[in-house]
Amino acid sequence: MQLSGKWKILSWTGALVVLLIMPLFLGKYSVFLLSLLAIYALVSLGLNLLMGYTGQIAAGHAGFLAIGAYVTAIFTANFEWLPCPVTLLLAGTISGIIGFLLGIPILRLKGFYIAMATLAFGVVVSEIILQWSSLTGGDDGFSVPAARIGGFVFDSDFKLFYLIIPVTIIMTLLAKNLVNGYIGRAFIALRESEIAAQTIGVDLAKYKTIAFAISAFYTGVAGGLFAYLITYLSPDAFTIELSIDFIAMIVIGGMGSILGSIIGAVILTGMQQMLAGLLDLQVLIFGLSLIIFMIFMPKGIVGMLSDLRERFS
Amino acid sequence: MLLQVIFSGLATGSIYALVALGLSLIYNTTEHVNFAQGEMSMVSAFVGFTFFNMLGLSLPIAILLTLLISALLGIITERLVIRPAMRAPHFNIFIITIGVSIVMKSLSGFIWSHNDYPYPSIFPDETISIGSATIDLIGLGNIGATVLLMVILYAFFKYTRYGTAMRAVSESQNAALLMGVNVKQSFAVTWAISFVVAAVAGILMAPVVFLSTHMGIVVINGFAAAILGGWGSIPGAIIGGMLLGVIDNVAPLYLPSQIKNVVPFAVIFIVLVIRPKGIMGMERFTRV
Repeated sequence: MQLSGKWKILSWTGALVVLLIMPLFLGKYSVFLLSLLAIYALVSLGLNLLMGYTGQIAAGHAGFLAIGAYVTAIFTANFEWLPCPVTLLLAGTISGIIGFLLGIPILRLKGFYIAMATLAFGVVVSEIILQWSSLTGGDDGFSVPAARIGGFVFDSDFKLFYLIIPVTIIMTLLAKNLVNGYIGRAFIALRESEIAAQTIGVDLAKYKTIAFAISAFYTGVAGGLFAYLITYLSPDAFTIELSIDFIAMIVIGGMGSILGSIIGAVILTGMQQMLAGLLDLQVLIFGLSLIIFMIFMPKGIVGMLSDLRERFS
Repeated sequence: MLLQVIFSGLATGSIYALVALGLSLIYNTTEHVNFAQGEMSMVSAFVGFTFFNMLGLSLPIAILLTLLISALLGIITERLVIRPAMRAPHFNIFIITIGVSIVMKSLSGFIWSHNDYPYPSIFPDETISIGSATIDLIGLGNIGATVLLMVILYAFFKYTRYGTAMRAVSESQNAALLMGVNVKQSFAVTWAISFVVAAVAGILMAPVVFLSTHMGIVVINGFAAAILGGWGSIPGAIIGGMLLGVIDNVAPLYLPSQIKNVVPFAVIFIVLVIRPKGIMGMERFTRV
């Protein structure tokens, strides 16, 4: 089904309007879930830029989520006058800088070593948060004050929805432009063959660290929104298991695809809700889908759909 | 005091060394990184637990049966999830093994619940004193068992047909194939051996840390040990394991005690940043 330009814009606008008026017809909890889904979609996009597009296994993204969340919480609590978009930008930037700094030593590493280094990074971050209790509250956790712009306070899930969704939409569009542009093509070249990419003039050091920085930025912003939505942070929420859930999210949705990132987020949120009381079953299904997708459909749901479309046209 | 701590470090380290050894065995033959190595130990330890605690078999028979079943589980795992993706990039196989570790953990939770269980050791729970240091026999036995297993594996690789075939596959899969080595069979044997090594690690570890489904996290220490020693190097796995065990036990003496949780991660991070090839490792080159 190919839509011409005018119809495409019209249908996207329609979808946007539906999304934005949806909270009027939904209960409080569904609005909360949609917001959570959008946050996961941001993480998924960030991780996909690094893993799916650039081909670096990152097993510590819960660490970046934690950094974004705590930066947001600490800034909001100490500087109440800061408008929340600025705080979120700060959270993303600090997370991005840390991602950039992490990317530098990782340049020397390959393949699974990167997975191990990022995994270690994720755990060290939550340990630092736990130990630095004067700043983070440590074990006691951290109550996040409501987001605000000037006098307007985002003090309900309903209001937060209108903060989270626009941020997600803007960042999704940015990601789409990014991957279709020069940087995105450099990422893909690096994924396919680092040596070949360097031969045609892609600066490996530059683009790998950029990939780390951008990925960390996305996850940091997501962490900030997460802090506002959850309103209470505890260091033991940001575990290795969460990082692996994020990997599962993009593997199932589709690596190297913007749409796949969002589908992955929908599936993660949906599964967490449907199997809320049955943690073991939820984990089992995740593990099995990692195995099955990697063996039979390494490109995820999006890859499967495009294969189907090719077969029938 | 320090001597005592170093001894307990070696006792812990022998278990890390076994996990690192299992990782290195699989990596050397198949070039795959197995994230499920720790869960393999956990599953085997639970299988042994079922034999002697629920079926009432004597400990030696239970352990023997456990090792047999572990070898079988190794072959099944390889056949079920690794073989179908044998030609896929290593990236994919790594993610598959993450999936395997998650599946093993949650299935074990269904079967045995996530509680902690006490676990008997094959060695007597007594201490002997040498000079000023008291040494517990479980720790000593664990070190002894690890050394024994190393010797057996060394002999296997050096003197048996399968062992030689596996060494050939690790040098070059294609050349080995051309020389008439059954590469697929070598993969299966490798997984069987690695699972048995994991089982030994699990049986030695469970009396020390209690048996629970969370035991599999030891894979991180195994990775740290293998990376510290030099990834893919068998002597490196042993040295790295022992050294990590000692660091694990000595660090809390001089640094805040919470440091223990971070030791393996800090070691992974520091080694990878400063000297990625570890102590005994070699640079690996890839052909374009």
